[in-house]
Amino acid sequence: MVPSQYYLVLSAAVFCIGLFGILTRRNALVFLMSVELMLNAANINLVAFSVQNGNLTGQVFSLFTIATAAAEVAVGIGIILVLYRNFNDVDVTTATTMRW
Amino acid sequence: MMIELLLGVCLVGGLAVFLLPDRYSARLSFGISLLPILASSYMYATFDGVGNALLEGSTLAFETRVNWLSVGPYELFYHVGLDGVSMPLIVLTTILTTLAILSAWTPIDERKSQFYGLMLLMEASLIGVFAALDFFVWFVFWEAVLIPMYFLIGVWGGPRRKYAAIKFFVYTNVASLVMFVGFFLLVFGLGDSVQSLGLPAIAGALSAPGAVGSVGGLSPNAVKTAAFFLMFAGFAVKVPVVPVHTWLPDAHVEAPTPVSVILAGVLLKMGTYALLRFNFTLLPEIAQQYALVLVAFAIVSVIYGALLALAQQDLKRIVAYSSVSSMGYVILGLVAFTLYGLGGATFQMISHGLISGLLFLCVGVVYNTTHTRMVGDMSGLAERMPITAGAIVAGSFAYMGLPLMSGFVAEFLVFSGSFAADFAYAPVFTAVAMFGIVIVAGYYLFAMQRTLFGEFSVSTDYEITRAAVHDVVPLVVLIVLIIALGSAPEIVFGMIEDAVRPMTELTTTQQADAGPAGMLGLGVSLLGGVLL
Amino acid sequence: MVGAFEFAPAIAALPFVSFLVALFVGRFMPKKGALAGITATGGSLLLSLWVYLAVLTSGDPHVEIVHTLIGVTDPFSLELGILIDQLSALMLLIVSLISFLVFVFSLGYMNDEGETGLPRYYAGLSLFSFSMLAFVMASNLFMAFMFFELVGLCSYLLIGFWFRADAPPSAAKKAFLVTRFGDYFFLIGVVGVLGTFGTAAFAGDGSFPVLAEQALAGEAAGINTFGFDPQTWFTILGLLVLGGVMGKSAQFPLHTWLPDAMEGPTPVSALIHAATMVAAGVYLVARMYGFYALSPTALAIIAFVGGFTALFAATMGVVKREIKQVLAYSTISQYGYMMLALGVGGYVAGVFHLTTHAMFKALLFLGAGAVIVAMHHNEDMWKMGGLKERLPVTYYTFLAGSLALAGIIPFAGFWSKDEVLFEALLRGMDNPIFLVAYAMGLIGVFFTGLYTFRMVFLTFHGEPRTTIAEDPHHFGWNMKFPMVVLGVLATVVGLINMTPVAELTGAHIEFLHIWFEHGGETLTVEHYGALLEQWAGYGAVDASTALVLGSGAVSLLLALAGAGAAHVLYNVPDPDEHTDKLGSIKTVLFNNYYQDEYQVWLAEGLTANVARGADTFDQGIIDGAVNGVSSVSLFLGDRARRLQTGVVTNYAALLTLGLVVLLVAVGILGGWFV
Repeated sequence: MVPSQYYLVLSAAVFCIGLFGILTRRNALVFLMSVELMLNAANINLVAFSVQNGNLTGQVFSLFTIATAAAEVAVGIGIILVLYRNFNDVDVTTATTMRW
Repeated sequence: MMIELLLGVCLVGGLAVFLLPDRYSARLSFGISLLPILASSYMYATFDGVGNALLEGSTLAFETRVNWLSVGPYELFYHVGLDGVSMPLIVLTTILTTLAILSAWTPIDERKSQFYGLMLLMEASLIGVFAALDFFVWFVFWEAVLIPMYFLIGVWGGPRRKYAAIKFFVYTNVASLVMFVGFFLLVFGLGDSVQSLGLPAIAGALSAPGAVGSVGGLSPNAVKTAAFFLMFAGFAVKVPVVPVHTWLPDAHVEAPTPVSVILAGVLLKMGTYALLRFNFTLLPEIAQQYALVLVAFAIVSVIYGALLALAQQDLKRIVAYSSVSSMGYVILGLVAFTLYGLGGATFQMISHGLISGLLFLCVGVVYNTTHTRMVGDMSGLAERMPITAGAIVAGSFAYMGLPLMSGFVAEFLVFSGSFAADFAYAPVFTAVAMFGIVIVAGYYLFAMQRTLFGEFSVSTDYEITRAAVHDVVPLVVLIVLIIALGSAPEIVFGMIEDAVRPMTELTTTQQADAGPAGMLGLGVSLLGGVLL
Repeated sequence: MVGAFEFAPAIAALPFVSFLVALFVGRFMPKKGALAGITATGGSLLLSLWVYLAVLTSGDPHVEIVHTLIGVTDPFSLELGILIDQLSALMLLIVSLISFLVFVFSLGYMNDEGETGLPRYYAGLSLFSFSMLAFVMASNLFMAFMFFELVGLCSYLLIGFWFRADAPPSAAKKAFLVTRFGDYFFLIGVVGVLGTFGTAAFAGDGSFPVLAEQALAGEAAGINTFGFDPQTWFTILGLLVLGGVMGKSAQFPLHTWLPDAMEGPTPVSALIHAATMVAAGVYLVARMYGFYALSPTALAIIAFVGGFTALFAATMGVVKREIKQVLAYSTISQYGYMMLALGVGGYVAGVFHLTTHAMFKALLFLGAGAVIVAMHHNEDMWKMGGLKERLPVTYYTFLAGSLALAGIIPFAGFWSKDEVLFEALLRGMDNPIFLVAYAMGLIGVFFTGLYTFRMVFLTFHGEPRTTIAEDPHHFGWNMKFPMVVLGVLATVVGLINMTPVAELTGAHIEFLHIWFEHGGETLTVEHYGALLEQWAGYGAVDASTALVLGSGAVSLLLALAGAGAAHVLYNVPDPDEHTDKLGSIKTVLFNNYYQDEYQVWLAEGLTANVARGADTFDQGIIDGAVNGVSSVSLFLGDRARRLQTGVVTNYAALLTLGLVVLLVAVGILGGWFV
């Protein structure tokens, strides 16, 4: 069996890629994809620990996360659409009206 | 059930006035506010309480005690009841509210229903504060007072009303927090020995020796001292004691007259009432231990407050600062811990409520006609407004402690109480505090001379006529009450005495070891310092 | 006759009723409340007379609690009661008589002159009589203080009666404030007496003078002297009460209010000076004489202040231009004599002078009032002259009063002032302090004669100096009647106590001495004498006949010298202002030794500036700190919100940063990096 550490390294790598995407990209769609990457990094962790612990809790939980992620994408796409409508752009740094 | 009836009438009446259209509200709220007067007078006449509400051997009048809910290890009760200290304060509240409502008829001309509704809600909260005997219930009412007050100042006030209202609210609310911390420090110190937040239970638990344990590394004595001073700091803001008094003049100046009347007449008494109930009944030994510190606060309030009043040009500010001065006497009397000290302090609460109410009403009447409150802007008003001028003269002399008026009895009792108190140099401190009566005479005499007497002139262009009947009636009522209490103080003092006498037995008598030479030296230097 | 005591409270209550009547229905009455006042004070006068006779027959003091203010017995109760003894019965008679005459005089002075606000005037006058009568009857020091203060209020209301002008309200304020300053000490004294003895009663076995005496003798227990030696503490208490006395009786340095108080209507001045407010102070000392007699220090201070005031005020009276000002300073001076008498142990002499002074000073003020009416409210004596032929009734009564004031035999003032000075001389023979006080009093006699007759000659003699004085306004019986009554009294009232004559003839005609030898055990003059001897060291001094006569002769000669000087200088058809020759001294005298200046400076210059400083401090530092807290919070909030840029990437970066920091922190704490 593959040791859990490998999964964790993979998960950390995916998470960091997602984080890097969020910090550097300005396109909202790429943003959304990066968020998905981070969520899936968490899923990998959950499944990996589930296997290690020998019960299904983590896998069930990851199913929930996937479902939430789907819902989140739906909402996220909706937000991006509204963003595009209002600002004629999907650049997240242009929409700065909700400050102070 | 009488207290619930009082609260119910005020709350329901307040809500009804709030919802009805403006054109009914003035008269309706006046009518409604007469009911609590009737009820409280009836309660006063049938009052059968004995002793101090918090101490053993007392019988409360109109008591209700219902289990309300449990929080953690504590059972919370809806517990209300009256003793000889709270009963007169409730009567004072009901009377002053009615008079304030009457005096609002002239100046309040917008959002009337909200105004009168809030006044009645505030009356309910104030009655609750004086009646509640469980900390939880008490605290709810204590905080509830702030809300109508905030709106009354902030909506109907003068030009800087927002500043004053926010200052008032934040200042007193922070003070409540400090007090709250202090109180719970004490409760946690008591540990398992109390299972409720009822004040009588806590007082009973505290009376046992060694009841207070250590909390968070503080020794039991430190817990008590810290609790005492945190609560003192919290209540001192409400009283107000110098140096936490600065919200008061701003609030008074900006508040409309009826609100000032309630603010000075009743709201300040919440602070001294709470000091009496919490600090001085629950922790008498700490109060005695630090008597000199507390006396210093009292004297500074009296003298410094009076000096500030001397420097003011705005009539309302004069009355406001002289309230600071007068409330200093209450602290002095409380610290003395003698029968006349405590009783005089309580009497002073009632008396000051009436007298400051009277003077604020007078200033209000003057303002309604002249549209100015500045001393330099008017003179010779006695010519055009003889009755109001007479009322101002009466009120000023009452404030100066003229015999046969209530202020004299109150101050005399406080002075004789603190003169014979146990703390060191008591006669000297009393004598220094008494110098306030000279300064108070100074500023009221100056103010009267410049506004009432001399040739008639007013710098604002308004027709100066006699005041309306509904403006004058409250003045007359208050003057009659002040003289009645001054010439027959037994009307309320019998009740007060019964309630405060058990408190004097809480003290451990310790003779002052003040040498005569030291006393004289201190007296001369203090008086010299004050005079300079 | 004992039944009279049942009606004693009515002596004070009647004027109170007339106060209420005048205040509320006075404006509907024909004389605007004057008749109510006359009826009430007339009733008081009759009742006082009845009470006086009752005391004369029964002899024992009558003590009764009328009303209990605070009925708590522990530590002490506060009560209003009446004490009728020889002293208060005499004083009641004086006060009600003068009040009654002043009411009658006011009919002419106020009503006939068409003044407005008369109900207020008569209400104030009635309240004044009520307060003073109640003060005189007070059975304890607490009650005495209450009515002492009320007397102050009444003086405020009446001095400021003409409130539309600037000067009267200012004078009223000054009168109240200065006397209040004295009352501050008095109040401490009352509180101290109650705290010490647990009672403030004047008379009876448990009264505070008796307890004090027992404490000194080491007999009384339970007296708290606050760690002091009893005699020291009683001296302190006595001096504190004396503060109030000096304020009300206008003794140096609290005399400054009294000349200003002349702004009030003249009948009010008569009442204040002769029978009520100013008399209250001296009366109080006499009332609690059993207490003062225990303290030689307090007595010495009383005597010295009195002697000094007597001379000090008399010198200022010499240069004044207004008739009422002269009288004002003479009042201060005469009350100085009374204090001198009481200080040297001359209890009867002091009360005797109080009695005679009440008569002739009321007379002089009413006479001055008549002159002022005649002169169309012009008070400057240099505008008068020659009124003798034009106002004969006023002149002769005024002259009787002046002779009494100057102390010319056989008018009332001679007998009483002579006795005061004689007592001072007796005491001065064994103590130099009292000798100095006596000397000052004696020099004061010369100045008294001088200013009194300067006033008489300038006002009534010579040629009229203005057209008004040539044709003065005439007035009716209601002003002449009181003057005539008082004129007779000022002439003959001294006969009640002719000590030199008694000494010469050996006849027992010192009726006042005899009067005060009766009464309550602890209230008689013998008892006071014994106390003085035992505790104050006032031993009996052998008074030879020669000394009695010599003392009287010296004071009479000095008075005559003063009057003679006035005659030479001012009894000419067209007098000059000779006092101009005094040069800069006159300026000092005219400005009252600059006493007003420093007191006004204390009240306005110093206190007001301190108050302004306190206000600046309060607004700047204390309120500044409060506002500072809110400003700092607002400022920090303003800075903190700049983190909220609105750029999502920044938020994400902060989140990441936070996560990293958290991880590192957990790592360090968890020891991952070791």
